[in-house]
Amino acid sequence: MTAQILRPNLSRRTLLKGGAGLVFVLGVGGLSAVEVNAQDATLDVNQWLTISPNGAITIVFPSTEMGQSSYSTLPQMLAEELDADWNDVVIAQLNEDDRAFGNPIFGGVLYTAGSTAVQGYYDPMRRAGAQVRDVLLQIAAQQLGVAKDSLRTETSTVIAEDGTRLSYGALAATGLDGVQIPDAEAVTLKDPQSFRIIGQDIPRRDVPAKSTGKAEYAIDVELDNMAHAVVLRTPVEGETPTAVDDAEARTVEGVIDIVTLPDGVSVVAETLWAALGARDLLQVEWSTTSPARNFNSETTLASYAEAVRDPEADVAVWAEKGDATSAIKNADSTVSHLYLSDYAYHAQIEPMAAVASVDPDGLGVEVWAGTQTQSWTTHTIMETLGTTQDRIRLHMMTMGGSFGRRTAFVQDYVRDAVLSSRAVGRPVKVTWTREDDVKNGTFRPAAAQQLEAGLTTDGQLTGWHHKVATPTVIGFFNPGRWEIVKPNDVISMRGAESKFYDIADFRADHIITERQARLAPYRGIGAAYTSFAAEAFMDELAEAAGRDPLEFRLDLVRDNQRGQYLLEKVADMSGWQDRGDRALGLSFAGYSSSMAAGVAEIEVDDSSGEILVTHIWAAVDAGRIVSPDNAHNQIEGGIVFGLSSALSERIDIEKGEVVQSNFYDYEIVRADRVPPIDIHIASVDAPPTGVGEVGTPMVSSAIANAFYAARGQRLRHMPFTRDRVRSVLQS
Amino acid sequence: MTQFTLNGRPVEVDRPTDELLLLVIRDALGLKGTKYGCGAAMCGACTVHVDGAPEFSCQLAVGDIEGAEVTTIEGLSEDGTHPLQKAWIDQQVPQCGYCQSGQIMRAAALLSENPEPSRTEIANYMSANLCRCGTYNRIFKAVEQAALEV
Repeated sequence: MTAQILRPNLSRRTLLKGGAGLVFVLGVGGLSAVEVNAQDATLDVNQWLTISPNGAITIVFPSTEMGQSSYSTLPQMLAEELDADWNDVVIAQLNEDDRAFGNPIFGGVLYTAGSTAVQGYYDPMRRAGAQVRDVLLQIAAQQLGVAKDSLRTETSTVIAEDGTRLSYGALAATGLDGVQIPDAEAVTLKDPQSFRIIGQDIPRRDVPAKSTGKAEYAIDVELDNMAHAVVLRTPVEGETPTAVDDAEARTVEGVIDIVTLPDGVSVVAETLWAALGARDLLQVEWSTTSPARNFNSETTLASYAEAVRDPEADVAVWAEKGDATSAIKNADSTVSHLYLSDYAYHAQIEPMAAVASVDPDGLGVEVWAGTQTQSWTTHTIMETLGTTQDRIRLHMMTMGGSFGRRTAFVQDYVRDAVLSSRAVGRPVKVTWTREDDVKNGTFRPAAAQQLEAGLTTDGQLTGWHHKVATPTVIGFFNPGRWEIVKPNDVISMRGAESKFYDIADFRADHIITERQARLAPYRGIGAAYTSFAAEAFMDELAEAAGRDPLEFRLDLVRDNQRGQYLLEKVADMSGWQDRGDRALGLSFAGYSSSMAAGVAEIEVDDSSGEILVTHIWAAVDAGRIVSPDNAHNQIEGGIVFGLSSALSERIDIEKGEVVQSNFYDYEIVRADRVPPIDIHIASVDAPPTGVGEVGTPMVSSAIANAFYAARGQRLRHMPFTRDRVRSVLQS
Repeated sequence: MTQFTLNGRPVEVDRPTDELLLLVIRDALGLKGTKYGCGAAMCGACTVHVDGAPEFSCQLAVGDIEGAEVTTIEGLSEDGTHPLQKAWIDQQVPQCGYCQSGQIMRAAALLSENPEPSRTEIANYMSANLCRCGTYNRIFKAVEQAALEV
């Protein structure tokens, strides 16, 4: 028996699943089809999940996993409304660019970034679960001959008033005549009070494998007959190999082929060791015409600083309210300072790696890669081979960290694996060394920021003007997107809107400077530096007003009660009011709509210039928390990330080449410099807003403000390296 | 041909004697739990035990460990139930997880040297290994939990 109820927008996915028992197709617009086939007993409930007669509930995971635990958290949201037993749930990674699963926040693009996975899928995945639960109730009602309303569900079971229990698996094996699909928008969602999964500390699914060495990353993929490749890349962006002498490299035992790429030379060998050895023997001449050869981070930052102070500079208004210029002009006094920040590197511990196996016709390919986007990885492969999407078999691997590293529209490491495989007619794994990853990194942009604000004689803020001179990040890592959104670059500017404060006369401007490095989104994006400047400046204003930094901020959050709560909470946690001689620094920032108030306590070693952070307290509001223990872990990780980038992380560029090479000259924070971190997560009845980045933006300013408390001097150039701290102390 | 003991079993590999132990473990012997992170003894993702001592397997040539006993994360316990692994799961330590094999192997070496380490001793010892996700405080808690069991 097969019946079909078709509505518009039938996905090809439905048509592919000929053996389905029951298929609902849920796009962004809601359910659109059901297909019944009682011979095959699997209940294939909408595109998002399948229920087997044995009770297994397979839920699609539409994002990609880089450590943030969306892999567990997103299916939990669906399982909640389905009333599934979490132990019955099997998680299925989405391995194709199927926009029906796209994140609504990104217009349906499969893109895992910006702390948006829970936020974006919270509604559609819960509705998918609720729809399927409703259908299961209908089937059960038919079977039992009772009213649907008389039934209830718990843990993968429908329960009748007389106590009869029907498992979801048993219902999955049943016919479906007469089933009505409830409308996506009309379906009733649970009262949060009755949540059994959302808000509970359910262990992550991936932790056992990650505690036993069994988790498989792209760099671990092993295929029959697979070759290994490393790529000698152009030392400067924009150059190309003009002459390749590979005679000596080819003599290395195990070398299969040397493949010239648009911006590098790929050495393909039987082993990674042989490929690495042969790469050292390559003699390559590069073109010397790239404008990037003039890139020099010191002069870049100086030019940005000049631009930000140039009253004639072109600006793109990022956020505006009232009339900041007049308010500042009419203020009793004004304060203005310049803040600088250097390039920073993602430093994910798994360097770039990808495996490709190109079909003999050169148009089909199977690819294993860890990236933050099925969509742009698919795009990269299609462009590389000149092929169509249906010829691509993709495996989205769990990533060894990413933090924005693997977001680009064109993914060169994927491209190189595909080109190398096509050239040698074998599966090829491309592995980047750490040096490759640093030298060819894509960075958080350098920025120069000028802040100016007015004060009244009674110590109130009047007028705020935040100018940010930095390039467009989107314009580099996704140029097509930039054509649509320019001149508004959320990656470059986030945080400068200072939206958690109520400032009547406010303006934030983007001075879009020339790009002089490869750029990418980075944990916290713009807020990683705009909140440094804004919150360090806020402290300077408080001081100029002769007021306590907490009281000064509290005045500005009178209309933001949730923010006010966080500031008061973190003050309480850290003993702010009774801090005595302790060097505490306060900050209040966040990410998107998630807020974080933080206090850092520091000690300073004057002779070495080292800042030792001895404690951090944070109070965070990220709306409803789906997975509290993981949220805590993510927020803490974000704080550690912020601490690390505040103290030591810095990329320099000279003549177009990245100066740093590895973790010995790009220092990220180690265990012995990580303080106790106390985190309070506010319990609020509001939609979730993301936890992956909220911890990061407030840290650097909290440390800078604590430094002022410790030594009475301001740190206005991030990172606060030992040499910079020493020079500030000596000034 | 190099012979050594890997996770309790004798192995013989026909690889260049200067090839990194890390790559031999991963690519010749197929144990992928030991990770490449930096190749420079800076991140510890490649940490294994050689004759009981923690070593960066990216710093050893396979020829140098002839006859030695090498233990990787796969050999720490037969079924993933070493007290540290149980503690790692209890404390939900990993985020991306990429560094955690190395962290656990480093922690195992610590506990064999010092069964009751203080928080400061843990932090100092574990400073050989980087975690970019920032799970350090959970690592400390997990090591303390495991120390109660070892």
